[in-house]
Amino acid sequence: MKNYKKYLLIPLVTTLLLMFTIGNSFAQDSTTAPAPKKIKPVKNTFGSAWLMDNQTVMVPIKGTLEFDIQHRFGTVNNAQKDLFGIFAPSNIRLGISYSPLSKLYVGVGLTKERMQIDLNAKYALLQQTPGKMPISVTLFANVVMDPRNKSNFRNDVDRFSYFSQLIIARKITERISVQVAPDFSWFNNVEAYVDSKGVIQKKMNNGHFAISMMGRYKFTQKSAFVIGYDQPLTQHPTNNPHPNICFGFETTTSSHAFQVFAGNYAGIVPQSNNVYNQNDYTKSQYVIGFNITRLWNF
Amino acid sequence: MKIKSAIAILFAGFIATSFTLRLSDQKPWPVPDAAKNKKNTVANNAESVAAGKVLWNTHCKSCHGGKGLGDGTKAAQLKTEPGDFSKATFQSQTDGSIFYKLSEGRDDMPAFKKKIADEDDRWSLVNFIRSLKK
Repeated sequence: MKNYKKYLLIPLVTTLLLMFTIGNSFAQDSTTAPAPKKIKPVKNTFGSAWLMDNQTVMVPIKGTLEFDIQHRFGTVNNAQKDLFGIFAPSNIRLGISYSPLSKLYVGVGLTKERMQIDLNAKYALLQQTPGKMPISVTLFANVVMDPRNKSNFRNDVDRFSYFSQLIIARKITERISVQVAPDFSWFNNVEAYVDSKGVIQKKMNNGHFAISMMGRYKFTQKSAFVIGYDQPLTQHPTNNPHPNICFGFETTTSSHAFQVFAGNYAGIVPQSNNVYNQNDYTKSQYVIGFNITRLWNF
Repeated sequence: MKIKSAIAILFAGFIATSFTLRLSDQKPWPVPDAAKNKKNTVANNAESVAAGKVLWNTHCKSCHGGKGLGDGTKAAQLKTEPGDFSKATFQSQTDGSIFYKLSEGRDDMPAFKKKIADEDDRWSLVNFIRSLKK
């Protein structure tokens, strides 16, 4: 874990430098708002509300309805035996989100892994505006219910977990966007064991801090390379989660975003990924995944 | 034999004209006078055209083609002909008319007033469409 923290400093410092120093020299180029007299918030910092395993700072315009199909295959380690995980058991999330108010996005989703049901909300606190605001800041939060049989839980509240994330992003140029997002996960119920003295000991803490970093480089007006890194920060008594390295390709159309990528996170619900990820990048335990979003405007 | 030849020619002619007529069949698209005379609020400069091009590539190119010739990848699937924006007949319209049509849509053409909610962005799109003139 300590080694991971050393490695965390390099991308974190690099990302922050990009956001606050290099970006300033390009600040005037970072908006698609065409009228020089009217200074408007920067648009399309990212291509979608999702980017691989994380939310982006993006909150679609009021009246937008979004349908998400997200897929994570098995790990690639078995090579041709299961076609690099593509024929292995997979994880799927179907989600729907809507923007009832400007800057607000609310959604619901169902994930194959434990049939978790998530309710989520996202609010744009600050919007990057040339000459006024150098960054965009969005708050994302969810509550997830594990609907498995009640024999799995002592109390009903044990079914619930929560995730909150402060997403800070900057569109540096038309081609380059970066994002840093500290987050906190909380599980009402965590596994425990009885030690040799008969005392109940937690295997993991209920709360978990982590930080995510992501970047996008657009090589055409509709297509981009995307990268991301998630670093766990909390030290648990056992089963410490592994970081996530992810990279892939994104293309967007008028109504869709398509992302195909590889990463270590096999889950889709963010707190499950952050707390329980045991795929280790040093052992090449990557999974191939894709996200498809479809947008309608009402 | 002459009758068979005549039928064959008529049939071939019917097939040929039916395709030709379909491609050139664009019903009139009336634009209210107020919309027709609406003034473009965004200066037609390089910055605006560049912004319009980004929007064009995202929202319009798949049907209308990169140069507005109506030859996008989806054009063949459309029931209505997407038109050739490089021609004088199209370019003779006012900015307001083009703005109205892309905002309101009709048949296969979607209405973009909600998807591209910012009016200035739609005016930039009009400015880019002007750059397609040959």
